[in-house]
Amino acid sequence: MKGMASSHGNIQSESAKMEQIITEFFTKSLHIILESRSAYLSSRNFSGEQVLSSPSSSTSSSSSVRPRDKWFNLALRDCPAALENIDFWRQSTFEPMVVDVVLVQRPRDWDPVNISPRPGLARNLSLKERFPNCWNSDREDVSWDSKSEKIIERWIIQYENRKSGCSGSKRSSSSSLHTLYKKSILLMRSLYLTVRLFPAYKLFHKLNSSNQLRSFNLAHHVSSFVEPFTRREEAEMQRFGFAPVETACGRLSVSVLYHSSVLDVSSEPKTPMSPQFIPDYVGSPLTDTLKRFPSLPVTKATTQGSLSSSLFSRRHSWSYDNYRASIPCTSFSPSPSPTHIGSRAMVSHVNPCRPPPMSLPAQPPDPTTAETRNIHFDEYWPSPTFSPSTSSSPPVHAPGTPLSKALGRSGSAPVTIPAIKLPHAPSLLKRHVALPSPPPKGSQLRTSRSEKSSAVIDQLSSLRDDIEKASSGKASNTLTWTFSRSSSRLSLQEDFDDAEFACPFDMDDDDDMTNPDNRPESLDQKATLSDPLLSGTLIPGQKSQDAAVGTLVRILKKAPPLRQDMSKSLNASGTLTVPSVSSTISPSTIPTKTTSDALEELQSYREMKDLLLNKSCKFINN
Amino acid sequence: MNCEVCQLKELEVEHFEIREVLQCILHTIVFHRALGLVRPKDVDMELLEITYVQCGDVELEKKIDEKIDQFINWVDKHPNKKSQICLSFYEVKNKQATWFNKIERLYWEQWYINLNVAQHPKSHSGKSHHSKVLVDPEEMAYEDRSARRAALEASVRDALFQIIKFVNEKKDHVPPIPNREGISFPYEIAIPSSSDSAFGMDMIKRMLQTGHPTMLS
Repeated sequence: MKGMASSHGNIQSESAKMEQIITEFFTKSLHIILESRSAYLSSRNFSGEQVLSSPSSSTSSSSSVRPRDKWFNLALRDCPAALENIDFWRQSTFEPMVVDVVLVQRPRDWDPVNISPRPGLARNLSLKERFPNCWNSDREDVSWDSKSEKIIERWIIQYENRKSGCSGSKRSSSSSLHTLYKKSILLMRSLYLTVRLFPAYKLFHKLNSSNQLRSFNLAHHVSSFVEPFTRREEAEMQRFGFAPVETACGRLSVSVLYHSSVLDVSSEPKTPMSPQFIPDYVGSPLTDTLKRFPSLPVTKATTQGSLSSSLFSRRHSWSYDNYRASIPCTSFSPSPSPTHIGSRAMVSHVNPCRPPPMSLPAQPPDPTTAETRNIHFDEYWPSPTFSPSTSSSPPVHAPGTPLSKALGRSGSAPVTIPAIKLPHAPSLLKRHVALPSPPPKGSQLRTSRSEKSSAVIDQLSSLRDDIEKASSGKASNTLTWTFSRSSSRLSLQEDFDDAEFACPFDMDDDDDMTNPDNRPESLDQKATLSDPLLSGTLIPGQKSQDAAVGTLVRILKKAPPLRQDMSKSLNASGTLTVPSVSSTISPSTIPTKTTSDALEELQSYREMKDLLLNKSCKFINN
Repeated sequence: MNCEVCQLKELEVEHFEIREVLQCILHTIVFHRALGLVRPKDVDMELLEITYVQCGDVELEKKIDEKIDQFINWVDKHPNKKSQICLSFYEVKNKQATWFNKIERLYWEQWYINLNVAQHPKSHSGKSHHSKVLVDPEEMAYEDRSARRAALEASVRDALFQIIKFVNEKKDHVPPIPNREGISFPYEIAIPSSSDSAFGMDMIKRMLQTGHPTMLS
């Protein structure tokens, strides 16, 4: 826009500029709309990161200002769906652009991997029963692969040429360009806000912010021509129009027809969701592990002392980013199909590699079915990357096939969540789910070099935390049990053995602390320490305080994991028996364990922690 | 140049809601007046199920937060009062006087945010007159709260649409986008000052100030 004023008198370039503004107006509008409607592009994750990180980094996350950002002074996140669809309007002469946002609902027997019904899991309500108000429209179409689709928003962006031709002299056209641009900026600003205020945004928000599988998805299609709504359909919708922007030759307008009843879909499941809505997913080990992912880094974070804050902070959509970022399948590229076929294939190849507990119950063990599954995956892949209107060809309608149908079939993919995330599950689980697992070696060394005492405290508190979970958390019990039973690779044993290097103080203070010969001594100390009355006499004067603390930490690490006990007991007869692993504690001391024992032990750990806190405070002060 | 004025519908808030509601409204207005290059930042409100947009400008956020702090202080000292916050946008004009250079603010737009800060609800004993003793007062309070919350959400949403509507319908008075640094037009946020009457005077003065240059120039 810089050179605009200098081009005074040049009608050709003026009108060219105006055309460019109008084209960019279409582009930006589409971008704004799809960015907040096209699911799985994690635009929210982006903003979530911004909220989380320090304000200064908000610009550094994508510091370079691209030419596209400069248009209308509004820098937006990447949205491949928008890029894909815009080509037609970049070439053509201001055809109207219609963006339909489609709510796709799963049928009740929908299975993300197999269409075959799954035995063993109770399904209490059909989707129709759960969502009576979404199915009562006359567009009910069970025939389409038994999915229900409903257009919940129709955005119309258009440029209307004035019939009387262009008005205004050369001179005014220059200033009118400025005005046009300024007014367009204003319109884009309010469009940006408005898309976030409409009911459909809540659906988008839910889709993106939760790690649960939803029974609905959002699809979209962009075209220059659509079947108009019937009068009845239109009556159900509300209209919102932005004040048009006048240009020298016409006017630019943006308007939307939307369903306000979409709210019912989004708000209804909110409360009854966990018990009723998708019991198949919520209750299964699959989702339990998925649900745990966002909180897993917390366990790790304890070594950095941020336990409480990270535990209680509001969970955002971006909490998934860690797991998403490294996976190639999620990196959508704007180029047309070939790439995406590749990534689709990848997902399905990865699929059979999933560990048994993660896979869905009905997944056939036969690997030859992978082929069939590929097909299913393709069918459910999201439309942004799989729309018939590729970038090379304008969205011309095949005669007889309504565009909505053609697109609708490819329009949804909740599959992405499990398919993408699961491959990463084993490593995560192995490292974090098992109770006695020490923090990774690297972080251990790091902490030992820096703040020693605080590291001890943190470790203790994390340990205590785990104990608390073990003694009270039902979910975690189930989880441990599941994994120890079904996969030897994930067994607790392995993690337990790793505990050898767990003490950060070993290397600093007392080498023979790690010597197995010293274990009896530790055992004695353990006996003393676990008695709350005597715990005040913590290793009096024997060694340096560091060493004492180190010993204690090691003892705690070596202590038999409560959760393991429970898992074993669950595996076996139901009585709690001493695991053979716990060689550090003689069976005679603690023959059996019950929950009350666990609570007692927890209590004593707590007291020890307090004691240590005191000690370390003194230590620091000294 | 005209000074357009937008009076937003009164919002009934409780004390703890003031901050977030004001942030939402003020940032929304400024977002529409920050016509420099912005990288919008979506903000999900904690209390209400509303997502609004900020410009992602640290300075701006700081200034707005400071003003809100001041306003909350004022509310603490003046309970039971309806209050008004005025967000004004102006242009700086160097008025060429012969004997001194006077920098003048030409206000071209003013937004009045009207708040009615509700007193903390009375304790449950106040509700004992309900004939149904069986109803758990806690539950009642919960229902009350969620109903009130829904009402607030609706009214904040209304206010946002009011802003959008205003921004859409009135575009001609917005000055050309300044080329210099700074993403927003110059603005100021006026909160009631320590004495109420002074606030009123202040407003009148500002109105006069705004009105006059237009008439003279």
